[in-house]
Amino acid sequence: MTAPAPPRCRVNGRSVDLGDVPPGERLLDTLRWRLALKGTKEGCRTGSCGACTVLVDGKSALSCLTLTREIEGSAVTTIEGAPDDPEGARVRAAFEAVGALQCGYCTPGFVMALAGLLKERGRGGSFDELLEDLGGNLCRCTGYAAIVRAAASLRTEEAEP
Amino acid sequence: MTEFDLIVPSTPDEAVAVLHAHPPEEVAVLAGGTDLLFDLDGGRLRARHVVSLRRLPWRTLDWNGATLTIGSTLPLRAIENDPDVRARLPGLYTAVRAVGSVALRHRATLGGNLGRASPASDLVPMLLALDAEVELVGPSGERTVPVDRFVEASRKTALRPSELIRAVRIPEARPSAYLWQRVRPFHDISHMAVAVAFSPAGARWRVAVAGFPPRPILVPAAEAALGPAHPSDPDLERAAESIVREAPIVADRRASEEYRRRLVRPLLTRAVRACGEELR
Ligand SMILES: Cc1cc2nc3c(=O)[nH]c(=O)nc-3n(C[C@H](O)[C@H](O)[C@H](O)COP(=O)(O)OP(=O)(O)OC[C@H]3O[C@@H](n4cnc5c(N)ncnc54)[C@H](O)[C@@H]3O)c2cc1C
Ligand code: FES
Ligand code: FES
Repeated sequence: MTAPAPPRCRVNGRSVDLGDVPPGERLLDTLRWRLALKGTKEGCRTGSCGACTVLVDGKSALSCLTLTREIEGSAVTTIEGAPDDPEGARVRAAFEAVGALQCGYCTPGFVMALAGLLKERGRGGSFDELLEDLGGNLCRCTGYAAIVRAAASLRTEEAEP
Repeated sequence: MTEFDLIVPSTPDEAVAVLHAHPPEEVAVLAGGTDLLFDLDGGRLRARHVVSLRRLPWRTLDWNGATLTIGSTLPLRAIENDPDVRARLPGLYTAVRAVGSVALRHRATLGGNLGRASPASDLVPMLLALDAEVELVGPSGERTVPVDRFVEASRKTALRPSELIRAVRIPEARPSAYLWQRVRPFHDISHMAVAVAFSPAGARWRVAVAGFPPRPILVPAAEAALGPAHPSDPDLERAAESIVREAPIVADRRASEEYRRRLVRPLLTRAVRACGEELR
């Protein structure tokens, strides 16, 4: 009998062996410390700020509240992988066009959350719903006006925020 | 956090057997983990084995006529994304969207929300007003318990050792609404919340209030005051009055009792009026 295949996941297209990852390890720590992908930020570590948002199988996820072993078999996209992701690239371009950042600490989380929303919802949906759906991402610099402008520019109906 | 090993059963039988094979204080059940991880980190739970439900076939949402059955491990986001939920159970749609953020709801589940049984849960009051039932599986078979008897107090439920929540059943589509008061409208904890639903089959209202310990509750006196269909303004006034007078609302570190009682009238009035638009 052959040994069972080691648990794996993909991160930005690269296959990662999860065999050594302890069951209690958070995806945030796997990304930052095991894989040295420091783009994903730690804000609160309690699910409250959204700075650690990544995509798991195309859906936004809080990496600080996700056990790495629980996403075995899934594909993770972080801010480092955003340029190679169609929606990630579009959101990045929108943030650049508007200059939607101050210190930039919240930016990776906002970009990945918006990329996930674009995949899920396309460019439709009401402006109010967009604001509600961004409610989990905090900007400690309070640079929301430009962030919302960048987010709104990704929608079909150009609504004035 | 204490060290634990992660067990990932592939079938419900296997999951129940794994739970049954260990002393209850040594095992914990993991769905989305958005509540459980805090209990493990904080040392409130000292589980040596964590049983993940991720491979179980419970990520389901099925309409059978007007009855909706939601599998316990379906991420909350999938509930709000179902167009029929939005159209036929608007209160449930609103309550689900009131939970945390989009990214949180991609992991958090209905089973986990019931399992945590938080007094501030946004889903339990709505499930009460919808007369939802919890389907359980355990070592001695299956049983069904109304949400009203399932949720007892914070972290206390009617779950027996080695039992799991399989699904939640909502018996009928209802005009319904959920309204809450918080510091921030989204991604915050509700200080006070009101869930209302009108049962077409029973021609009666259901009213639940939540936000304070020990748990969300139904208020039958308010239901009676609202009458058999469209309540008049005086009916609404009497319903609010009966909650303010009779509901066992208390203070906790989030809000005072007086503040909560003051919130009853505006929340109830707006919630019932929101359903009125649908009843027409
Ligand atoms: C930042 C943040 C914001 C939040 N905001 C809200 C909010 O606005 N409103 C709200 O109501 N909640 C909120 N919560 C709480 C939490 O997200 C919800 O209660 C969620 O629904 C829990 O689901 P879960 O799958 O993550 O549960 P888990 O953490 O996996 O489990 C919770 C409990 O239920 C048990 N359990 C889980 N599934 C089952 C099952 N199938 N059978 C038996 N037992 C089971 C577990 O053993 C555990 O005790 C928030 C949490 C965070 C971190
Ligand atoms: S670090 Fe994960 S939500 Fe704040
Ligand atoms: S730009 Fe500084 S936290 Fe948002």
